[in-house]
Amino acid sequence: MTATSLVRLIAFLLLAAFITMPQGFAFLFEPLIAPGAPAIYNQGSLLVLTLQHLRTVCLATIASTVLAVALGIFVTRPSGAEFLPLSRSLVNIGQTFPPIAVLAIAVPLVGFGEKPTFIALFLYGLLPIFENTLTGLTQVSPLALEAARGMGMNARQRLVQVELPLALPVILAGIRLSVIISLGTATIGSTVAAKGLGEVIIAGLQSNNIAFVLQGGLVVALLAVLIHDGLGLVERVAARKLGRFLNEVP
Amino acid sequence: MVPPRPALSFDHLGFVIAVLIGIALFAAPFATYRATRIASGEARLVIEALPFSMAAALALVALGVALGAVLARDPLGRLGSAVIGLAVLLPSLGLSAGYLTPADNNFARVSPSLGFWLLSLSFSLLAVDALARMRLGPFGRLAALAVGASALALLLLSGIWDDLSILKEYDTRADSFWREARQHLLLAFGSLAAACLFGIPLGVASHRLRTLRTAVMQSLSIVQTVPSIALFGLLMAPLGAVAASVPLAAALGIRGIGAAPAFFALFLYALLPIVANTVAGLNQVPAAVVDAARGMGMSARQRLLGVEMPLALPVILAGIRIVLVQNLGLATVAALIGGGGFGAFVFQGIGQTAIDLVLLGALPTVALSFGASVVLDALVDLSKGTTPA
Amino acid sequence: MIEIDRLTKRYGATLVVEDVSFNVEEGTLTVVVGTSGAGKSTLLRMINRLVEPSAGRVLIDGEDTRTIPEDELRHRIGYVIQGYGLFPHRNVADNIATVPRLLRWDRKRIAQRVEELLDLFQLDPAEFAHKFPHELSGGQQQRVGVARALAARPALLLMDEPFGALDAVIRSKAQDDLIAIQRRLGATIVLVTHDMNEAFHLGDRIAVMDQARLLQYATPAELLMRPADDFVERLVGTVERPFRLLSLTPVREALEAGHAEGEPIAASESLHDALSRLLWTGRKALPVADSSGAIIGRVSVDKILQHGRPLP
Ligand SMILES: Nc1ncnc2c1ncn2[C@@H]1O[C@H](COP(=O)(O)OP(=O)(O)O)[C@@H](O)[C@H]1O
Ligand SMILES: [Mg+2]
Repeated sequence: MTATSLVRLIAFLLLAAFITMPQGFAFLFEPLIAPGAPAIYNQGSLLVLTLQHLRTVCLATIASTVLAVALGIFVTRPSGAEFLPLSRSLVNIGQTFPPIAVLAIAVPLVGFGEKPTFIALFLYGLLPIFENTLTGLTQVSPLALEAARGMGMNARQRLVQVELPLALPVILAGIRLSVIISLGTATIGSTVAAKGLGEVIIAGLQSNNIAFVLQGGLVVALLAVLIHDGLGLVERVAARKLGRFLNEVP
Repeated sequence: MVPPRPALSFDHLGFVIAVLIGIALFAAPFATYRATRIASGEARLVIEALPFSMAAALALVALGVALGAVLARDPLGRLGSAVIGLAVLLPSLGLSAGYLTPADNNFARVSPSLGFWLLSLSFSLLAVDALARMRLGPFGRLAALAVGASALALLLLSGIWDDLSILKEYDTRADSFWREARQHLLLAFGSLAAACLFGIPLGVASHRLRTLRTAVMQSLSIVQTVPSIALFGLLMAPLGAVAASVPLAAALGIRGIGAAPAFFALFLYALLPIVANTVAGLNQVPAAVVDAARGMGMSARQRLLGVEMPLALPVILAGIRIVLVQNLGLATVAALIGGGGFGAFVFQGIGQTAIDLVLLGALPTVALSFGASVVLDALVDLSKGTTPA
Repeated sequence: MIEIDRLTKRYGATLVVEDVSFNVEEGTLTVVVGTSGAGKSTLLRMINRLVEPSAGRVLIDGEDTRTIPEDELRHRIGYVIQGYGLFPHRNVADNIATVPRLLRWDRKRIAQRVEELLDLFQLDPAEFAHKFPHELSGGQQQRVGVARALAARPALLLMDEPFGALDAVIRSKAQDDLIAIQRRLGATIVLVTHDMNEAFHLGDRIAVMDQARLLQYATPAELLMRPADDFVERLVGTVERPFRLLSLTPVREALEAGHAEGEPIAASESLHDALSRLLWTGRKALPVADSSGAIIGRVSVDKILQHGRPLP
């Protein structure tokens, strides 16, 4: 077992221990708080909040992935080629929108709660996945495609057997980016009353309880780092076969 | 050579745009009227939102644009028709606000609605598509940005939009708007400057020392992964003792500790792109060039400043572009911990369910990020032009 | 037999291939040679309809290729390109199995075929079947590329600069291997190259193209002795012409009765090789042996030199 995977394991165990039995860590946070204030978040279960947080991110990412990959495939086919330049510019422009703006604009349209958060995560999550799908599909070696055509693969066979597998590591990198952005945006989602770990931080800010803020921050941060790491692992497995991609995937 | 496409033929994107225009004109409300700032809105179709002659003129122009979008292929023509569309649409929104607001009523609010947004979306799509197909050079793009910005400034200064709800929102808090604007820019640009001062030398050092590079990159990429609000939170504890109390977003009643943790967090976020791009930029300097410089007797310092850095500049600038756009967006979140900036309006607006207030914070942010990305993209291109790779 | 009948390709107003006709006999290797941009690749790609002809047709054993669905046609025609286009995400065995899978052969048959081909191309199945393309050397990749094209026993093999990416030493070995495999399988091959040496080395017949047109279609010896025009003459190389001619002629053709000292040369080797040996050893003649090793006569410098010029 390498040092990094050991660190990974320890981080995971710590996180799991903390969200299931936060009271056990109270002694660490007591020095930070005013006398009499609670040292550990007491307005809900950290475990439940974590799961709700993850559920929102997960659902939004699945939805973004399906749509973004489908769109990416569409604009790289001859029938959708007319939309390619526009869609590239739109992705560039879209990424100049801060996620919080998307979240804020969604509230008046659909009200408070999970919905605006989901919409913001979904819309904003589309961008990196779509962009990477485009990159992945357009950088497929023209030689491999020529060979595929020459061997009599039809358009669907080329897409499924050649283009998508070759683009997969890049698409996965897009999904990973999207998940990480979503984890952060979902945290801010608590300002519009979405259930999630942002609640802990907001509660801490409202009651001026640094311990809460720190707990929320730590859980979200650890979660993000672990997920980022885990998805990176998946990417590397996918890229391993394609030796030439190994260096390109960060 | 691919044979040129006929100038008149059916265009799929144009078809989508035409459908959007059709929906916007006939099936979607153009503006929303509210009796008070937070009352629920009443929808007004184009024909109800404008005097008949204006409504007819707008509809005719929009249909003309739709027709052009379907039939015309020439990007210049498409851009022209999109610009004409916008030139008619944007002022008519202001006229509509004046028309719908009863005289001497200071409480009523008129804001753009789905139809307006769809129309401006359609026209902008057409313009963006045309611009993308024209493949403008850096100066062309800067010029297009300047024209757009001037037109926007003209609309705002002329007073034609003054009856719109968002400008009424602005009117009642003009002072704090500019204060938050300054704070926003200070956070975004200040942390960028700090990150450059610290990050570029760190990048140069990392380029030379492999061990340093691995350590720096790994820790910075972990920092990048941590969501902004969590990082703010984590920084509050260590910085907490120092901070003075500042009243926070009223609706949330949050009391926080100001701009320091926000600034520091933005600085940390900014480091990775700056350091990584400095290293990447230096890495792609051809070894032969550095060798030649050495052969001519240039000192290490002269090589770095005279040869390597200029050649790495486009990549470093690309890193600065990433950071600036990212910072302008993240700075909105700073308001949550009392850091100020346009986010203050966003969070207040969320608290009061006042969309106009949300937009007052969100739209300038988006405009700033957009402008910054266009300008820096152009700079990146220009720096590539002077240093052929 | 492959009949190429007045094939023409136009892009806009430019003619890229103009009215090209020739026939390729079954079991022969035809080389299409010409400078870059002559239209060779386009001609080749019209045979498997990767490019649709503007006019003209291609018949394979009398069957017009336009009557066969595109993909089906390509399943029946092997195709090798410069750089090979191996699928980087599939291992060697899966790469070779591509067309048999498209044709839904059963697994056992595919496995057998893959093994057979790996053997044929001197790639040990145990070692190579599960390697990925990026783990192979250039020469190995090239062999996998050809093996993949041959997998479904195509009626015709098209090769577009198949050796272009190899360095000189490996290239000449790969060329010899191709000849051996072609003889062994009796395959029909159309190969495109810009390299005249390669054309002479490989071709049973050579088609010379320039600026979209077919200038001459002939055997290598005819090309040397009766070039159709100045361009062909320059292309075959006036300086190397005698040596090319000697390379094409087996020792047997210059056999004379008599005795000579030294190590015998095989009757099937070329006069070029014989001359080279004579020059190096400083002799006037060499003994000639037949395939069983028995001496059947001798070959002399004077006689060889007579073969290095066109017949009157
Ligand atoms: N799809 C195409 N569109 C326009 N011109 C083409 C196309 N494909 C090839 N050409 C032109 O046709 C000519 C012949 O090309 P090609 O057949 O590839 O030549 P070769 O293989 O002999 O080098 C070249 O000038 C090339 O530019
Ligand atoms: Mg070619």
